[in-house]
Amino acid sequence: MSTRKTINRFATIGGICTVVALAAAGCGAGGPAATSGSAGTSTVNVLVEAGGHAELTGVAEQCKKDAGVDVNFVELPYDGMFNRLSSEFSSGTVSFDVAALDSVWLPSFKDAVQPIDEIFTDEAKKDIFPALVKEANVDGHFIGLPAWTNAEIILYRKDLFEDAKNKADFQAKYGYELAAPSTWKQYQDISEFFTRDGMYGTDVKGGVETEWLAHVLQAGSPMILDENNKVVIDNAAHKEALDFYVSLTKSAPSGAAQVDWAAAQNLFNQGKTAMTRFWAHAYRQIPKDSPVAGKVGAAPMIAGSAGIGGVPGPWYLTVPKATKNTDAAKKFIKCAYDNNSMGIESSLGLASRISAFEKYQDKEGYESFGPLIETLNGKATATRPATEKWQQIVDTVLVPMLQKAVAGGDSATLLADAKKQIEDLLK
Amino acid sequence: MRVAERTRPDGGKAAPVVAGPSVPTTTRSSGRKRRGVNREGLEAGRRSTRTLLWVLLAAAMVLYGFPFLYLLFTSFKTPIDTIAVPPTILPREWTLENYTNALGRSGVLASFINSIQTAIISTVLSLVLAVPAAYGITRYKTLSGRIFIMAALVTRMVPPVAIGIPLASMMASMGLSDTPIALSIAHTTISLPLSIWLMSSFFEAVPNDLEEAATVDGCSRLGALWRVVIPVVSGSIAVTAIFAFLASWNEFLFALLMTAIRSQTTPVVIANFQTQFGLDWGSMTALAAVYSIPVILLTLLLQRKIVAGMTLGAVKG
Repeated sequence: MSTRKTINRFATIGGICTVVALAAAGCGAGGPAATSGSAGTSTVNVLVEAGGHAELTGVAEQCKKDAGVDVNFVELPYDGMFNRLSSEFSSGTVSFDVAALDSVWLPSFKDAVQPIDEIFTDEAKKDIFPALVKEANVDGHFIGLPAWTNAEIILYRKDLFEDAKNKADFQAKYGYELAAPSTWKQYQDISEFFTRDGMYGTDVKGGVETEWLAHVLQAGSPMILDENNKVVIDNAAHKEALDFYVSLTKSAPSGAAQVDWAAAQNLFNQGKTAMTRFWAHAYRQIPKDSPVAGKVGAAPMIAGSAGIGGVPGPWYLTVPKATKNTDAAKKFIKCAYDNNSMGIESSLGLASRISAFEKYQDKEGYESFGPLIETLNGKATATRPATEKWQQIVDTVLVPMLQKAVAGGDSATLLADAKKQIEDLLK
Repeated sequence: MRVAERTRPDGGKAAPVVAGPSVPTTTRSSGRKRRGVNREGLEAGRRSTRTLLWVLLAAAMVLYGFPFLYLLFTSFKTPIDTIAVPPTILPREWTLENYTNALGRSGVLASFINSIQTAIISTVLSLVLAVPAAYGITRYKTLSGRIFIMAALVTRMVPPVAIGIPLASMMASMGLSDTPIALSIAHTTISLPLSIWLMSSFFEAVPNDLEEAATVDGCSRLGALWRVVIPVVSGSIAVTAIFAFLASWNEFLFALLMTAIRSQTTPVVIANFQTQFGLDWGSMTALAAVYSIPVILLTLLLQRKIVAGMTLGAVKG
């Protein structure tokens, strides 16, 4: 009976497969054995966002040699990492000994991680950007060591800016020399000038909030909340920054409400925009076959009335309270700090120590580091407000408000509405 | 003047029937003419229905197939081509670089092994539990059986994210964190209700007379199930197995919450190409294309069984 035979064959194959799979599963065939929780071991599991894995790979190899700490990386996509961290921290059992946390998550997980004050020596504090030292200190203790940091700078088309005809035309039209912009007015003029022949001067990102917040800092106000946690989103500086932001839409591709980081980066790399305000790492990630490869210049973030201001985007190495491998975890973090400059050689190409950036800033291919250092040291540069509700404020208030603003909404009304919504969220 | 061809029952063609208003006819020939016109109309109707069906089929194929084809073409594009504005369908320059990058990335091979073993364990668990459950529900029509099958359906209505975190905590408390077994059990919670429902509908289509005949011939109830019923529904079991396998193979959320170093599956690795600092479209599509090969092969290999299973009960009445 052929069907019987088929059934028997399937059952046999299925059985064998299951036995093999179970045996392999029991042996952990798919990867190295996790060692978290085994006290005294020098192996640490490091939870890291996929992009950050590259940053720490070289450092991990060095730490194995220097400190005898073996590292297993638990790599997760950014979008799922917050859920995973929430899940593990709330369960009280963690599968990692070190977690690399986005700065915006620090307030949310401050009670789940241990102080690492001993790593923040006076010497270390001098070598870390002031805004980051401030952000890492929560309730009087340092809870995370910045592994790498980023900030938005200006990327511009050097070839277009150096073109003799463009220079002459710009001078004739605006009365000053065409160069990388350093003020809002210059950014507006240059954006307008290059918006022609199917090209745009800049992009306007309605899908993300950080850029507008940088302009708020440049206009001289703390972003969204003041030092007393009072909502100040409706003050003059926020309105000035929003009006400036929206004014650029006439020099940007249509559909600004949907433009996010990926879209803006694509537009610039495709040669569709002459300038972009973007995270510094993007300078080294321009594809070699891009029409703009080798034609891009970098400048510090533009300044408003309060000077240059940017929003740093650091990631912090933290030690969960629930790990039983605290000593090895701290040993790794100290080692990662000592070898911080190794991250610069990775595909992401970032670090957190001032000395690490300075070491590379004059080397070919690292022209974005000078502007990055200047932006991170900017007078108006500040980190995001330390509130657990920050991500919620961004997702439910700030981004929708920006999308309405770039689509033509009244800025004063939108800011007043946003203030009410944020106050409700913080109640 | 139109000519309609007639087909004889033996398949050969009969003499053509001449149809036209100007031809003088007798009453008999007028009847033949009407039959010829009717057949012609019927044939034309069939042809247009067939054409319409083919058009609909082609449209459905394009609708379902295009995203996969686009993914496949993107996997052969150069980095700048993958982010072209406006996007291009075909690569301007074909390259295998994305495949080299994706497959050369550490952890990819291990994730494939994890995906395979997780899917196999989950599929076998689902079948081992669903087949007897569905058989019992359909053959012993009890109130508790009806409540059970409705309860199984209700579990499908709970969003996975609602049970993901508690499940992860339970696995951790049992010491199963980061193991393919934990993930397989979690995946079984997704595929088991579906498998029970599918198998129930398949068992319903098998006449009780078959088992009764087997019992008369000396089979026990279990023997009748194993020797008679299961061979009849083997195609349906293959269909259920494929659905269970696919549910585990493509699952992302539980894999994200429950796996770390030892058991991370490929969907999580594919998602890792999207980082906070950019999206590597080329490598992501290359790995996704490779990851879809086993399920395509599996479906093709079991195609006959699937069709048989899908049509089981279709002529019941």
